[in-house]
Amino acid sequence: MRALPLLLLFLLALPVSRGRYNDDFDDGEDLADFDDNDFAEFEELSEDTVTEPEDSPPPRYTSPSTADEDEDDEATVELEEGQDGFDDPETQDQDLYSKYDQEEFEGIGDMEKTSHSMKDPLIIHTVPAHLQNSWESYYMEILMVTGLLAYIMNYIIGKNKNSRLAHAWFNSHRELLESNFALVGDDGTSKEAVSTGTLNQENEHIYNLWCSGRVCCEGMLIQLKFLKRQDLLNVLARMMRPACDQVQIKVTLNDEDMDTFVFAVGTKKAMARLQKEMQDLSEFCGDKPKSGAKFGLPESLAILSEMGEVTDGVMDNKMVHYITNHADKIESIHFSDQFSGPKLMQEEGQPLKLPETKKTLLFTFNVPGMGHPSPRDMDALLPLMNMVIYSIDKVKKLRLNREGKQKADRNRARVEENFLKQTHAQRQEAAQSRREEKKRAEKERIMNEEDPERQRRLEEAAQRREQKKMEKKQMKMKQIKVKAM
Amino acid sequence: MSSNNMSDPRRQNKILRYKPPSTETNPTLEDPTPDYMNLLGMIFSMCGLMLKLKWCAWIAVYCSFISFANSRSSEDTKQMMSSFMLSISAVVMSYLQNPQPMSPPW
Repeated sequence: MRALPLLLLFLLALPVSRGRYNDDFDDGEDLADFDDNDFAEFEELSEDTVTEPEDSPPPRYTSPSTADEDEDDEATVELEEGQDGFDDPETQDQDLYSKYDQEEFEGIGDMEKTSHSMKDPLIIHTVPAHLQNSWESYYMEILMVTGLLAYIMNYIIGKNKNSRLAHAWFNSHRELLESNFALVGDDGTSKEAVSTGTLNQENEHIYNLWCSGRVCCEGMLIQLKFLKRQDLLNVLARMMRPACDQVQIKVTLNDEDMDTFVFAVGTKKAMARLQKEMQDLSEFCGDKPKSGAKFGLPESLAILSEMGEVTDGVMDNKMVHYITNHADKIESIHFSDQFSGPKLMQEEGQPLKLPETKKTLLFTFNVPGMGHPSPRDMDALLPLMNMVIYSIDKVKKLRLNREGKQKADRNRARVEENFLKQTHAQRQEAAQSRREEKKRAEKERIMNEEDPERQRRLEEAAQRREQKKMEKKQMKMKQIKVKAM
Repeated sequence: MSSNNMSDPRRQNKILRYKPPSTETNPTLEDPTPDYMNLLGMIFSMCGLMLKLKWCAWIAVYCSFISFANSRSSEDTKQMMSSFMLSISAVVMSYLQNPQPMSPPW
């Protein structure tokens, strides 16, 4: 009963609204624009409703009216008559909607649904990192660049530290070297042999110095082998495994400056390593390293020697004194007249010739400070340089007695024989292959000969030569048999 | 004069010029790090360019830096610069083609 008057009121409202439409149309607005404006309101409410706009305005017109009242004055509904009826728009709307036939009015049910869905909570998804436009998403790149900058900083700092250490060493040793050598510092490129007076930088961590022009020796090459402070990877590796800077000195001697002996002293580890690696130490000093305590040296040092006489000769009081006082800085000392470097790893078997040897004194010293030396630590190496100079003079004066000399000569002959025996098979093979090559070359020559006459003659000559060889061989065999008997 | 000669061990006439030790006879003494790093750097930068992998390109940059730090002064700078430029170009190309940031492997 109540519904009827409501319906009547609504139907009355219709012409009013229609009238409004007409008014608007009379104003001269485009029909299309007008339609758009109106229907835009409906579209805002629900996207799903694709109904004909003419059918839907009546039911839908009421709900957006409250929202869009401010926006569109023309669209206000003059519902004075039906104001009472529409005090509670929501419930009344629903009643109205339920009255409308589902078939006639498409999309009304959907509207109900959408109004419900609008009450569900909004889920805000996070934008994936690669679509954001902030610097924070590039944190891996920033990390990489920071790493590179750290590497560059370390390179500069390490390079400078090594350079400072090298120059500190040179400054403290310059006087001693200049008083002992006529040529201090040479890179081999200048025309005249003039002292450059500077270190030769081979690397960011290796510095060379060549000194020459002295009695008793040909020259002395000093290599300052610092740790790779300029490489960050190396710095990190050294945190696991501490290592020392090293100073390596190699003195090459003339033939008359040294007698024939091989001798080495140093830390036990270094001696074990050198005995395995070095060609001359492995051949001439076959015994295990002897403890230094027997000769008055600290327990930590070991001696490798060709014969006892050599050890007694080298280890005089002054040397023992030097070595004992600076035992912590000495890695190895190696005197040899048969020095040829480390054992070469052969790929095709042993070489056919003995490696070239040179009379050499080698010294390897550790810089104190265990990886973190200060420039003042370089002064601590000065007495060791004095020891080197003393050794050069001493070796010149050291001469083996007759017995020792004989022993030494026998040793050298033995080593050479061994070497020849080992390579005998190889040398035979080489000779055989050479002979075959010659035969092949001759045969080819004969084949290439065009004149058949000459060919025949050459063949005959070759045959005769072969026969002669066979006869010679048979003769030799007979002679050997006779001798054996 | 004579005492000077006795105590002064220097001999001008005995000077021998410096000869750099030939590395052909002792290949083991040479440090192979710069050569390996150079090669690795080139391989990584080619991988980064062809397969469009950003992390490859970054590793190539690091390799070329390490190679430079360990190189000998006798090595010519052109080789170093070329590997360096190649790695930088690998990084730049990877980002031009795909400006998204690198995602960590974890």
